Amino acid sequence: MITFENVVKTYGDTRVLNNLSFEIAAGEFTVLIGPSGCGKTTTLRTVNRLIEPDSGRIFINGQDILQMDKVALRRSIGYVIQQIGLFPHMTVQQNICVVPKLLRYDKSRCDEIAHEMLSLVNMPYEKYAHKYPYELSGGQQQRIGVLRALAASPPIVLMDEPFGALDPITRSILQEEIKKLQRKLNKTIVFVTHDMDEALFMADKIIFMEKGNIVQMASPEEMLENPASELISSFMGKRVRGSDQSQKTAADVMIPNVYTCYRDYGVRESIEIMARRSVDSLVVLNPDQTYAGTVSVRTIRDDAKQHKTIETLIRQDNPTVFTDEDAQECFQKLLDGSYGYLVVLRSDRTLAGIVTKTSVARALADLVWGDNGSDVI
Amino acid sequence: MTQSQFFTHLYIVGVAVVFSIVSGVPLGVCAYFFKPVRRVILTVVEVLQTIPAMALLGIIMVFLGAGKTTVIAGLLFYSLLPIVQNTYVGLSEVDVSVKEVATGMGMSRLYRLIVVEMPLAFPFIFTGIRIATVTAVGVAVFGTFVGGGGLGSLIYQGIRVQNMRMILSGTFALMGMAVVFDFVMTLVEKRLHRRFSSR
Amino acid sequence: MTDAIVRFLQLYQQRLIVAFATHFLYVLISVSIAFVVAVLLAILLSRIRGLASVLIPLLSVFQTIPGIVFVGILFLYNGMTASTVVIALTIYAVFPILKNSYVGIIKVDDQYKEAARGCGMSPMQILWKVELALALPSIISGFRISVVYTVSWAVIAAMIGMGGLGEIIYSGIMSNNNVMILGGAIPAAIMAILLSRLIDVARSRLLPRSMRRGIT
Repeated sequence: MITFENVVKTYGDTRVLNNLSFEIAAGEFTVLIGPSGCGKTTTLRTVNRLIEPDSGRIFINGQDILQMDKVALRRSIGYVIQQIGLFPHMTVQQNICVVPKLLRYDKSRCDEIAHEMLSLVNMPYEKYAHKYPYELSGGQQQRIGVLRALAASPPIVLMDEPFGALDPITRSILQEEIKKLQRKLNKTIVFVTHDMDEALFMADKIIFMEKGNIVQMASPEEMLENPASELISSFMGKRVRGSDQSQKTAADVMIPNVYTCYRDYGVRESIEIMARRSVDSLVVLNPDQTYAGTVSVRTIRDDAKQHKTIETLIRQDNPTVFTDEDAQECFQKLLDGSYGYLVVLRSDRTLAGIVTKTSVARALADLVWGDNGSDVI
Repeated sequence: MTQSQFFTHLYIVGVAVVFSIVSGVPLGVCAYFFKPVRRVILTVVEVLQTIPAMALLGIIMVFLGAGKTTVIAGLLFYSLLPIVQNTYVGLSEVDVSVKEVATGMGMSRLYRLIVVEMPLAFPFIFTGIRIATVTAVGVAVFGTFVGGGGLGSLIYQGIRVQNMRMILSGTFALMGMAVVFDFVMTLVEKRLHRRFSSR
Repeated sequence: MTDAIVRFLQLYQQRLIVAFATHFLYVLISVSIAFVVAVLLAILLSRIRGLASVLIPLLSVFQTIPGIVFVGILFLYNGMTASTVVIALTIYAVFPILKNSYVGIIKVDDQYKEAARGCGMSPMQILWKVELALALPSIISGFRISVVYTVSWAVIAAMIGMGGLGEIIYSGIMSNNNVMILGGAIPAAIMAILLSRLIDVARSRLLPRSMRRGIT
C-alpha cells in the first residue's frame, strides 16, 4: 500500500535517508525503530510530506504522492505526535472533528463521528465531548489525539512515538488499546518508537533502521530469532532466543565461589570450615592452586584412624569438567551419577567453580525470565 | 464644557485604537509570515514609538494640518508598537507541536492561521491592545497643542488661567478614563487567557 | 522647501543648539537621579512585598496623570524655574525604572539566592552579585523606557517656557511655521532614537550572552 523507491534525504553533509526502498502492505502495523538519528522519524514524516525527499518516489496505492497536493494528501492520513498537540482552545469534540470539518462534512455527520470515536475508547460522549484538553489526563489526551487522527477514517495513520510522554502504566494500557483498535478498524499504521518492547508487542512488521538505512525488515518473531546485526541483538537484549542454547558451557552454569582448603590443612580445621559454611565437603587445592581433590565429612567420619591433616583423606572420585565443556552434558552427568556436584577446572587445572543441579536451574531461569538480579551463590 | 472635551477625548482614542488594531494586527501577521519584512516592520514600529509624542504630532501636523485627524494619526502610529509586537510575539509563541499537528493533518497555512494560531495568540494580542489603549488616553492629552481638543485642552487652559478646578477636573477625568479602560480590559484579558490558553 | 530649511538653520542655529543641549541636560539629570531613586526603591520594595503590592498599582495610576498637569501644578507652587522641570521629570522617570527593576528582582529564582547563601555570600553580596545581576536585563529595559518617555515629557515641560526643543516646536505651531515645527521635532526624535540605540549597544556589552534576548 505504501511503497518507497530509492528515497534520499540529505541535511548538509549527512544522508538522513539513504536510498530507502520498502513496501508496507495494507492493514499492516509497521514499526520503525532504531537508535537516535537513524532516520525513522524522517521516514515517517515523508509519508505525509512534512519532509520532502530530495529524490526518489513514494507511492500510496499506486499514486505518486510527490505529485499530489500536499494538503489534500495530509487530510487523508492520520497523524499522531508525541506531544499530543490537542488544540487547547477547542473542546474534545471540536478537536476530534477537525479533519471532518476540513473535508466539509456537515454538522450532523461530525456529531455522529464524535459519538462513534469516543465510544471506541470508552469515553462516554456526555461526559467528555465538551471538556477542554487541560481538563484531561495525559493518557486521555493522547486517546483523543488518536481519535482525532481516525475521525475521517483515513486508511493510513502515522504515529510518532505517541506514548513517549506518558507514564509506563498508561503507556502499556494505550499500547493494548491501539493494537486492538488497529485490528478492529483494519488500518495501515506506521509507528515510530525507540522502545524495543513496544515494537515487539505492537508490530506485524518491524523495520530496523540505522544511519538512514534499513538494517532489517521482519516480523518480531523473526527478528528475535535471527537478528541481522549486533546492533539489533543489543537492542533486543536478553530477549534474543538464540539457537545457541546448546552452546552454553560449564562456565555459564557454574558457581564460581567455592569453599576450599589446602591439602596440608588439619582435619579439625577442615571440619571447622565445613561447619561454619554449612557444607559437607570442601574442594582441596594444591599449594600451586591446582585441583587436588575433595574431602568430605563422610570420609573423615568413616576413616577411624587418627589423622592430623586431611592429606590422606582426599578423594579424587568427584567428576571434573573443563570450563568450556558443554553445559547440557554437564547437567546430564549430574543427573546420571550420584554426585552432588561437578568440579569445573580451567585448562591449567586451577579451580573455576562447581556445577550443582541448583546452579544449572538458576542459570536457566535467568535465561528464560531475564535478569532479576539473581545472585548466583 | 468638561463633557464635550471628555467625549472628544474618548472619540479620538476610540477611533485611533480601532484603526491601529485594523492596521497593526495584519502588520504583525506579516511580520510573522514573511521573514524578510520582519526586521523592517518591527524596527519602524519601534522607532515610531521612540519619537517623542509631541514631536510626532508636530511632524504630522506639518502634513495634515491642525485638528482631530492629526491627533488620531499620531495616536495610531504610537499605538502600533504594542499591537504589532504582541501580535508577532503571540503568534510565534504558540506551541510548536500544536502548529505541527495542524499542518500534519492537512490544514492550509491560512486555515491554520485563522483557526489555530490567531485564537491561541489572541490573549496576548489583547494585552497589546490594552496597553495601546491606556497609553493612547495619556498621549491624547498632547492633542490640545495641535488643535485636537480633548481633555488636554481643559487641563492646559486651566494651567494658563491658573484655575485649579479646571486642572483637577481634567486630570481626574483623564485618570478615570485610563483606569476604567485598564480595569475593564484586564478583566476581559483574564477571561481570554483562561479560555484560550492551554492551562 | 530646501531653501526654507537652509535659511532656518542659518537663522536659528544658535538657538537650536542651545535648545538641544538644554533638552538633553534635562533628560540626563532627571533620568540619572530617577535611576538611583528607582533602583533603591525597588530593592526596598522587594524586601517588603506587601507594601509593593499596594504601592505599585497606586503609582501606576499616578503615572496616568499627564506630565503637563504635574508640571502645571508644580509651577503654581514652585514657580517657573528649571528646577521645577527637573523635579517633575525626575518623578515621572522613576516609575518605569522602579516597576521594571522591582519585577526583575522578584523574578530572580530563589534557588540562586539559596545557592549564593550556601556559598557564604553576605546579604550585600547576594544583592549585588546575584539579584541585581540577574535583574539587569529588566532594569536596563526600564531605564530605556524611562529615557524615551523623559525625552518626550521634557518637550512639554519646556513648552511652558523653560527652554528645550519643546519651545521651538511650540513657537513653530503658534506661528504656523512648519519648518520651525520640524526644526524642533526632528532633533527631538533624533535624540530619542539615538539615546535608545545607545542604550541597546550598552545593553549588549553589559549583558553576558546568556541573558540577551531578541526583542526586548
